[in-house]
Formats: sequence, structure tokens, C-alpha cells
Amino acid sequence: MTVFVRKNADKPPMLVYENVKKCYGTFMAVNGVSLHVNAGEVVCLIGPSGSGKSTLLRCTNALETIDGGEIRFEGKPLPTKDAEIRQIRQRMGMVFQSFELFPHKTALENVSIGLTTVKKMATEKARTRAIALLTKVGLADKTANYPANLSGGQQQRVAIARALAMEPHVMLFDEPTSALDPETVGEVLNVMRNLAQEGMTMIVVTHEMSFARRVANWVVVFERGQLLEQGPPQQIFEAPTIERTRDFLGHLGWSG
Amino acid sequence: MNLDWSIVWQSRGPLLEGALVTILLTALTMMIAVPGGIVLALMRGSRLRPVAWFATGFVELFRNLPLLLLVYWAFYVMPVLTGLGLPPFATGLAALCLNVSAYNSETFRSGINSIRRGQSEAGLALGMSRSEVFRQIVLPQAWRRVLPILASTWVSLFKDTSLVSVIAVGELAHTAMQIRSQSFRVLEMLTAMAAIYWLLGYPQAKIVDWIHRKYGVRE
Repeated sequence: MTVFVRKNADKPPMLVYENVKKCYGTFMAVNGVSLHVNAGEVVCLIGPSGSGKSTLLRCTNALETIDGGEIRFEGKPLPTKDAEIRQIRQRMGMVFQSFELFPHKTALENVSIGLTTVKKMATEKARTRAIALLTKVGLADKTANYPANLSGGQQQRVAIARALAMEPHVMLFDEPTSALDPETVGEVLNVMRNLAQEGMTMIVVTHEMSFARRVANWVVVFERGQLLEQGPPQQIFEAPTIERTRDFLGHLGWSG
Repeated sequence: MNLDWSIVWQSRGPLLEGALVTILLTALTMMIAVPGGIVLALMRGSRLRPVAWFATGFVELFRNLPLLLLVYWAFYVMPVLTGLGLPPFATGLAALCLNVSAYNSETFRSGINSIRRGQSEAGLALGMSRSEVFRQIVLPQAWRRVLPILASTWVSLFKDTSLVSVIAVGELAHTAMQIRSQSFRVLEMLTAMAAIYWLLGYPQAKIVDWIHRKYGVRE
């Protein structure tokens, strides 16, 4: 049996989660999770709803604050000061389940707003960059559209372009296809697959098992706020070592 | 009954002037009470408890007092309390601003709260500061939602400015009442006053209806 070597395993990891805890009142949403993400890896977080995967993702860019343990990004623990957190967030792109495009702005403005507001880039330059990114996600002809006049899949692709505009070092995807009509899921997954091929570091919370299996370098299975099992997709999907991982995948109709 | 409508035409100068003062009073009140309402709404949402309490106290006090009482209070009590001897126009304006700011604050608060949290989070995730998120993302969306309510407030305010006539602000109601008491043409002047308020108010109400249709929340 060959030993699986993770991508960039010889370099320091980009993100390290160490015994991370997050509770809401008495409910432990994340209960002592430790894992790491290397540069260039696509890590998929899977598991039943409410198992803490999204919460962990939201702790990564400090939309939620952790109650215990530590998250280190590029060697440094997440800061607590507002100004420093904003610096960190610029290096982490986030894509939400419900897109969260700004409805009062066009597709182009949605993509350029971070550049003009946060990076203080000149409007013309930001515009050029936004057009390039919308082209990249296949929406060159929709720059002037408002979100209300885009399909779900198109909205989510704009949201990906919006996050990419900031030139993040890692992209966080929070169930990016869960709110989509089945016919538009594919176009979003395609964009994500291309991104992975370009070497973008990605953490993806997803219920798309075939995506996790084909695109992920590393798969992490969550259950009730805890890490059930982690490993390369071949192991998780073909030879899960834990009985409950098999149960979970079986419930989804996954048959290896 | 002996009616003499010529008094209305003879008084056209002062009446027009009064109408202009009414419009000016309405516009100035809104120009102050809209930013005032936003500030109060933000203060109510502040994480600093005393700031939130102050704003809540302000809103609940001035929203629940009769405007007429507030006008008298501003005229008789405010100068004693503050040592400021304001002319009637400024006093009336102050009373209207206190009342309408409190109302607008509630309007903005509900508008701001109606914007879902994910919108702010999307802004924060890009690295924006809280104030950038508020100005660029939350407020523009809340603005569209509250515009119909603000327009309704404007129309009510336009009529309510007549209350400051009790402290001799020379707006439309006060002017008409003055002419009435000098000429004893009660029925004519009250009718003329009603006609002028209606003719000015009706188009405004129609504009409000249009704003409701254009910007009303459809979800």
C-alpha cells in the first residue's frame, strides 16, 4: 500500500485549526476540531446538516469568533483587532450559500466594490479587472445586469468573481450549490473545478459528493461538531475506516 | 348668509407667502429629521449601552407626546431650560424636528433591520469596515425600503406644520387665521385655507402613491 502524501506537505500549512471550539449557548457547534490545509489543496468538508462544517468555515475568516483552541493563517493566529481582521479577510475570499450579491449594484459593481472600497483602486482600473473576472466565470455579457436579472447559477458565479477580485490566498465556499436549481449546479461546479486546476487553495463545505470525490485533495467528515474522519477522497469514498462515515455516505445514496 | 369671497383674492399676497413658509418648514424639518432619524437609529443599535439608552429614551419620549404640546413646550419651556431665545420659526422647526426625527428613527430602524445579515457578512468578508458596510451596502438598500414610509411622513408633516400657528409662526394656517380675525370673514377664509392645503397636499399624496408603486417592497 502506497502512503498518501498531501500536496505541499513539505511546506508549512496555510491554515491550521487546533482544537477549535465554538458554542452557541450550551450547544457545541464545533467541539475540538483539529486539521490543516496546505497551499494549493482543495479540502472538502462534508457531513450531515448541523454538524459544524459551515460554522468552522465562518470561524476561518472571523465572521464567528471561536471560543476555544486556535486558528492560524499563514503562520499567525487570527487577530482580534478589527483592523487586523480586515487585513486577513482580504486574503480570504468567501462564497455564500445564498450568494449575497448586493442587489442594488450591477454584476460589474458587485465585483469591483471590494477593489474600490477596500483596496482604494481607481474606478477605471477596478472596472477593467472586474470585466476580466466576469469573463473568466463566463459572464462577460452580463456585466450590466442586476442580480435580480441573473439566474442562481449566474449569481453564484458573479459572487465567485467578487471574491476572486481581492486576489485571495484561499477561497472559502459555504455550500455554494445548495440553493441552486439542479440545472445550474454544473456551471458553478465547473468554475470551481477550473479554479482548483489553477492551483487555488479552496475549502469547500458541500453536499456535492461527486465534486468532493473528483476535485478534492483532502476530505474531512464532520459529525455533531466533531471530526469523524479525514483523508484523501479515495479513502473516504471507497474505504472509509469509520462505520459512521459509511452510514452517512450510504444515506446520500453513495455506493463507492 | 352674506358671503364675500373677494377677501380671499385680496389676501393672495400673504396667503402665498404663508404657503411658502409652510413648504419651507416641511422641507427644512425633513432635511434635519432624515439624517437625525438615521443617527438615532444607529445610536439605538449601538453596542455602547448608554448611547442606546439615550436614543431609545429620546425616541420614546418625542414620539409619544402630542405634537401640539411639543410646540407649546418648545415655545415656553425650551428658552428657560436652554437660555436660547429663538424666534418663533426656529422654535416651531425645533418642535417639528424632535417629533419627526423620532418617527424617522423608527422607520430607519425597521428598514435597516429588514436587510438580512448575510448582506453585511458579504461586505465584511471582502474586508470592508463596519461603517463601509453600512454606507455602501445596508443604507442604500434600507433607503429604498423606507422611501415610501418617509414620503407618507412628509405628507402628514405638511399638514401638521399648521400646529406651529399657535406660536405665531407665519405659515399658511396662521396667516389665514390672522386674516380671518381681522376681516371677520370666517367661512371664506377657512374654506380658502382648506382649498389651499388640499390643492398643495393632493399632488404630494399622488407622488407618494407613485413612490409606493415604484419602490414598495415586493418579495
